[in-house]
Amino acid sequence: MNRDDVKARVYKVIAQVLKIEESQIDEANSFTADLGAESVQSVELMAGFEEEFDIEMDEDEALEVQNVGGAIDFIGRYLD
Amino acid sequence: MATEVKPLVEVDEPNTLDDMFDYSRPPKVVYDATIYEEINGEVVKFDPQEALKRDLVVTDTTFRDGQQARPPYTVEQQVKLFDMMAKLGGPNGVIRQTEFFLYTANDRRALDDCRALGHKFPEVTSWIRADKGDFRLVKEAEVHETGLLTPSSDYHIFYKLKKDRKKAFDDYIEIVDAAWEAGIRPRVHLEDVTRADIDGFVKPYVGELVRRSEQVAPDMHVKIRLCDTMGFGVPSPGVALPRSIPKLVHTMTHELGLPHECLEWHGHNDFHKVHINGATAWMYGCNAVNTTLFGFGERTGNPPLEGALIEYISLHGDLCGIDTMMIQEMADYMRSIGVDIAPNYPFIGRDFNTTRAGIHAGGLRSDERIYNIFDTTTLFGRPPRVSITDKSGVDGVALWVNNFLGLEGDDKLSKIKVHKVARWVMDQYEVHSRMSAITDDELAEQVKINLPDYYARKAG
Repeated sequence: MNRDDVKARVYKVIAQVLKIEESQIDEANSFTADLGAESVQSVELMAGFEEEFDIEMDEDEALEVQNVGGAIDFIGRYLD
Repeated sequence: MATEVKPLVEVDEPNTLDDMFDYSRPPKVVYDATIYEEINGEVVKFDPQEALKRDLVVTDTTFRDGQQARPPYTVEQQVKLFDMMAKLGGPNGVIRQTEFFLYTANDRRALDDCRALGHKFPEVTSWIRADKGDFRLVKEAEVHETGLLTPSSDYHIFYKLKKDRKKAFDDYIEIVDAAWEAGIRPRVHLEDVTRADIDGFVKPYVGELVRRSEQVAPDMHVKIRLCDTMGFGVPSPGVALPRSIPKLVHTMTHELGLPHECLEWHGHNDFHKVHINGATAWMYGCNAVNTTLFGFGERTGNPPLEGALIEYISLHGDLCGIDTMMIQEMADYMRSIGVDIAPNYPFIGRDFNTTRAGIHAGGLRSDERIYNIFDTTTLFGRPPRVSITDKSGVDGVALWVNNFLGLEGDDKLSKIKVHKVARWVMDQYEVHSRMSAITDDELAEQVKINLPDYYARKAG
């Protein structure tokens, strides 16, 4: 799966969990500061990514990812 | 002069200070210096190591002072509590004595029934007013020692007893002499001593008692109970008499020559100092600290028995035969007879080791030592808990779920796995405007719905 495919599916999950339009999302966005993700939503995002990509992420490492672009790269490593 | 900044010392392993914080027991109080106090213009040394070599004990007045603050216990309740107290204090007699009224038939039956249990400790002792006629009760009860109420402040002597000092002095000496004549060891309660004229009354009075004790057998020597009746005592050095505990105790042991084993501290909690005052009295020279179960006592109460025992373990670095599990059993028993215990009361309250803060729950989830005082599971049968509210966060929910499912180590569920339960919790507050904490039953139901396989495994 190439990076653009990963990006598109990451945007879809973010939009669903945070209840925003995909057009509002940018790779540089911070999940908390820009997109307004609260504590439970951060975990729901991780759960959403796991389900979307059928992967199991390291929780501590995943929680260190701060922005959308970082998430795309992080998930990409699980898919390689 | 520039401040010297110490270089950071990096370590391969965390330094958890295990010599003080051995998680298997209450943290040890480590003394590494001598204590100094200025008394009468002289610097006096108190050696903590010497203090710890003395026969420090806890005495109890749950059935005397403790009963003055509540409806009377039935005889059966007293016997049950006495029996549990014996197990709690253990075979070394850390709980050395407990004190009974003798005035009613029920008082005397309670004493007889407790004694009939045959426990070596706590020894039974009694308390009477300073009235010669009351010695008959002590003799009939076959109790070796009794407490005698002898108020020591002018507040009591002049305003309560309507006497002058000479009359009070003579009456008190007479009653002590009468105790000896009756073959009873007198334990003189210096009521209101932290508000007394130490030079003008207490020293002459106690000095005379010590002098007269020299005429009787050692096991009949007068004991002195320093009664901080209104909780005025202060533990820190440099405080003036009569409020200074260090100076009061030193006056007794050094100026008046009272042996440590004949000296006891009895405090009240009017200024929130009741426990530390007792512990201070131990370190400065009182061998006994008088307590009541869970601190119930006149007005604001007395030093809590269980607090003194945990202090004892902390000072000695050893359980010394104390059965800490009995503390919870006694709390459960008190609740069963209708006694309210505040949820945040140390060691026994419902929430004493319960956290509601998500960040604390996160710490507990990583390693319970971070936010639990010691191994409360082993010592009290009370594992640390989280109470789930909107402040608990996913960490709190994960901790609760893992505790509920009994999952440990690598088997623990991650926050990701419990996110649906966490979402349900948050919705209760954000969507449904809930104001109360989530109950265990509600959370269990959510585990059943959202983590059915794990729930079935637990149930199965």
